[in-house]
Amino acid sequence: MSEHSEAPRETGPSFADAAWSVPSYLLSGMAIWGGIGWLLSEWSGWDLFKPIGLIMGAGLAVYLVYVKYGR
Amino acid sequence: MSAVTVLAASGGGVFTPPGAELFDFPPLFAGGPEWLTKPVALAILGALLTCAIAWSAFAKPKLVPRGMQNVGEIGYTFVRDQVARPFLGKDAERWMPLLLSMFVLIWVWNLFAVIPVIQFPVASHIAFPAVLALSVYFLKIYLGMRHQGPVKYFTNLIPKGLPKPIYVLLVPIEYLSTFVLAPFTHAVRLFANMFAGHLILAFFSLVGYWFLIENPTLLGAPVGVLGVVMTIAMTAFELFIQFLQAFLFTMLAAMYIGSGLHADH
Repeated sequence: MSEHSEAPRETGPSFADAAWSVPSYLLSGMAIWGGIGWLLSEWSGWDLFKPIGLIMGAGLAVYLVYVKYGR
Repeated sequence: MSAVTVLAASGGGVFTPPGAELFDFPPLFAGGPEWLTKPVALAILGALLTCAIAWSAFAKPKLVPRGMQNVGEIGYTFVRDQVARPFLGKDAERWMPLLLSMFVLIWVWNLFAVIPVIQFPVASHIAFPAVLALSVYFLKIYLGMRHQGPVKYFTNLIPKGLPKPIYVLLVPIEYLSTFVLAPFTHAVRLFANMFAGHLILAFFSLVGYWFLIENPTLLGAPVGVLGVVMTIAMTAFELFIQFLQAFLFTMLAAMYIGSGLHADH
């Protein structure tokens, strides 16, 4: 198109992919495992299942981003 | 019908900050169809403007660009180098028509927020960004199933080489994120920014209008002046956000298209 075209850059995309995926991974991790924890709390009567699930979900989400993009 | 006139009428005796009623519009003209409101008319106007911009820039390209062709080529180069190439690599040129028109359309829609008389960001009605985000979402799944195989696409998303029990923990997160939350955050990011920006501008301009014109008092005048100053400062800030959000929405669209075309790693 114009004369100052650059060569395609191959660096960056996977970093940006990871950065922009983090919020939705965190949300879904906490939604799924927090949700399961909440159900367990309701069913068993032990309140701690819910916070445990939420924290576990957030941790798993971070781990998932790491294995997908960080290795 | 500007935000200020609507709000000033709803005032009464006390200052009432603007709320969600800013975003409710009656039909454009009496007896007209109910769906034909100001946001819908502006959405169509934005699409026509995008066509006009593209037409005047690229219909009769010259070797030495002049006028609109210069503007168009700057826009094209920007979207290609900053949005398309980093995410799509050698496929970038093929997706430029979609990405460039998406970028220009959203930017024009956003700019409507600060254009006098118009003063409404189209994307502050979630339906508009939602339709764009859903189109990209279905395009992503279609491309994924076509380029990676109908089953392979879904298995490629899962990272390989982990102990089996870990998958039970990770696979639900991956699918919920990619197929439910990704299009949601894609649309909401644009919507929320435009919604909040419109509220902020309406609030500060109403403060200025109320304390300087509608209900001027000695004590209130400095507050009114502050409102006017903040309106000007926030308009400048909004101009930046409008561009940024158009850029981000297009960038994420390119990222999703790229994730359909090629498996992650």
